[in-house]
Amino acid sequence: MKKIILGFTMILILTLAACSNGVNEWDSSSNITVYTRDTSSGTRAGFMGGIGFDEAAEDDSQLVDGFVINDNTGILTSMATDEYGIGYISLSSLDDTVKGLQFDGVDPTIANVVNNTYGLKRPFNYVLRSLDDYENETEKNISLAFIAFMETTDGADIITNEGAIPLESSNTWDDIKANYSVCSQGNSNVTIRFGGSDSIEQIAKALTEAFAPKCGNFIPEHDHTGSSDGFKRTQGSEKDGDNYKHIGFASRPFKDSEDGSQGTQGQLAWDAIVAIVHNDNPVMSVTLEDLRKIYGGQFLTWDELL
Amino acid sequence: MRIGGINLNTIKQWLTNIKNTFSVNSKKEFVDLFIRSLFLITTIISASFIIIIIIFILREGIKPFVTNNDGLGRVNLVRFLMGTTWLEGRAFFSNLYGVGFIVVNTIYIALLSLVIAMPIGVLSALFIAKIAPKRLSKILRTVVELLAAIPSIVYGLFGSGVILVFVYNLGKVFGIQSKGGNSVLATVLVLALMILPTITALSEVAIRSVGKEIEHGSLALGATKTQTNFKVVLTSAKSGIFTAAILGIGRALGEATAVSLVAGNARSGPSFGLFDTTATLTSTMLQGLKETIGLDYDIRFSVGIVLMVVIVLTNAILNFVKRRIGNVNVK
Repeated sequence: MKKIILGFTMILILTLAACSNGVNEWDSSSNITVYTRDTSSGTRAGFMGGIGFDEAAEDDSQLVDGFVINDNTGILTSMATDEYGIGYISLSSLDDTVKGLQFDGVDPTIANVVNNTYGLKRPFNYVLRSLDDYENETEKNISLAFIAFMETTDGADIITNEGAIPLESSNTWDDIKANYSVCSQGNSNVTIRFGGSDSIEQIAKALTEAFAPKCGNFIPEHDHTGSSDGFKRTQGSEKDGDNYKHIGFASRPFKDSEDGSQGTQGQLAWDAIVAIVHNDNPVMSVTLEDLRKIYGGQFLTWDELL
Repeated sequence: MRIGGINLNTIKQWLTNIKNTFSVNSKKEFVDLFIRSLFLITTIISASFIIIIIIFILREGIKPFVTNNDGLGRVNLVRFLMGTTWLEGRAFFSNLYGVGFIVVNTIYIALLSLVIAMPIGVLSALFIAKIAPKRLSKILRTVVELLAAIPSIVYGLFGSGVILVFVYNLGKVFGIQSKGGNSVLATVLVLALMILPTITALSEVAIRSVGKEIEHGSLALGATKTQTNFKVVLTSAKSGIFTAAILGIGRALGEATAVSLVAGNARSGPSFGLFDTTATLTSTMLQGLKETIGLDYDIRFSVGIVLMVVIVLTNAILNFVKRRIGNVNVK
């Protein structure tokens, strides 16, 4: 019995000695551990697009070997432990447990996104049906009123709540609602259909939830299937089919082939992405080239970056 | 009298049997029959759900192999079953899926976690059933039941908060740079933690139901308590303990949430190293599930079919082995 206890105590002491090895020096010759989101993630598409590495947005084989896939919170918690890791998260989730890197020397803050100096971001855009392509005036007016609501400070608050960065706004809904008389009548027999990007789905649902009671309680119907369907189902090839939509969203700039009629397209918010590392990591800023080389596998150790 | 090879008398007998089952001679018998039919119907309903689920998964899972997948072409079955990369090429534009390496990973991880959890579980069960004083064993039994009831997402959060850090530091001690702790070792530890209560509880029941006569006989022949416990009690309870192992490995094979938080979700090659990232069938199905469409979504049902086949095969093999190792007549 005594021998067993002695044996256990020795093992315990050894483990404790190993653990309290003291704060290790941050070793810059270690490998960079790359964290990323899953291929279906909009944030990944935005990040890869932003660093000029579009091929890797949906293709895992383009990335350096040995990457780790996790969701937004997973990357955040991993970066708090992994001293040699690098990952990216949506700017609104950034907190003190990790270090957000400057992009081209610009701090990752909301102010810098709005004044357009922070470059790692993607636009959240909307597209309406052509102004003469509505079934009746009520549907058109409610759609236009919704866009106006999105651009007020009330809409901006909702967008901020959902983690995106809204554009400048000055009016409240109460200031401008007089211009939209359709909202003072009862609209509970009108269904307005929303679709497009699924990255914007949460924002769109929050906006309609707040706006529907302010505009005659119309019925919002959401069917978000991807940014390409945003234009396709409002002004493109599926605009008159079963999947037609009144308002579509896209989490990327509109392509040249998606040129809509006057006054039907615009931007509702920015979605900023920030590259993060462990707090002990001495790196402060990265450029587009750096990130592309890290994720592509040309930089394998931290030495090559510093 | 035989017509067309079928003995008419047998059919007559069969029909008479049915008539007798359903014939009623009094109101009491009618109520009896009614209740029995009700039980039959409820059993059919509950049994039919498993058929419905299987049919649904089969129908959706066969789709990638037989339809054209919106222009992407059929997925090659052999490549799917033997592949060492989850997807070659761009997602939503490629049909080159491979699940072979994930099957190897899943079985490897399940076996490893069983190897860790079995000794701890069986020995704890032995302690609770035979060695601990009555009050302590009651408390321990409640603790084990509580552990078994903890939902898997809580294990996942515990894993990602504590076990990842532990594995990362452990890697540092050995000089291996692990990827933030996401590794085979972390997955195995979390799974072992999850199947431990199941194994302990079931083994404990099996050990408790070993006949006292066998134990007393062994003690009377001069064996010490420990010798009796190991050589007699455990051997007699081996059938029940094996059942515990079967259930444990079933849970390990089917765990999705907890694994996807600590595994690292590797996208290629079977990972055998303890500090490599890995992926299991369930975590692959779960990763990115909510945002994906088209072939990428349908292929997860195919992975589900593979998973069900793996589970059925594992159960069949283990049950076969269980029958072979024999069964001591327990009370």
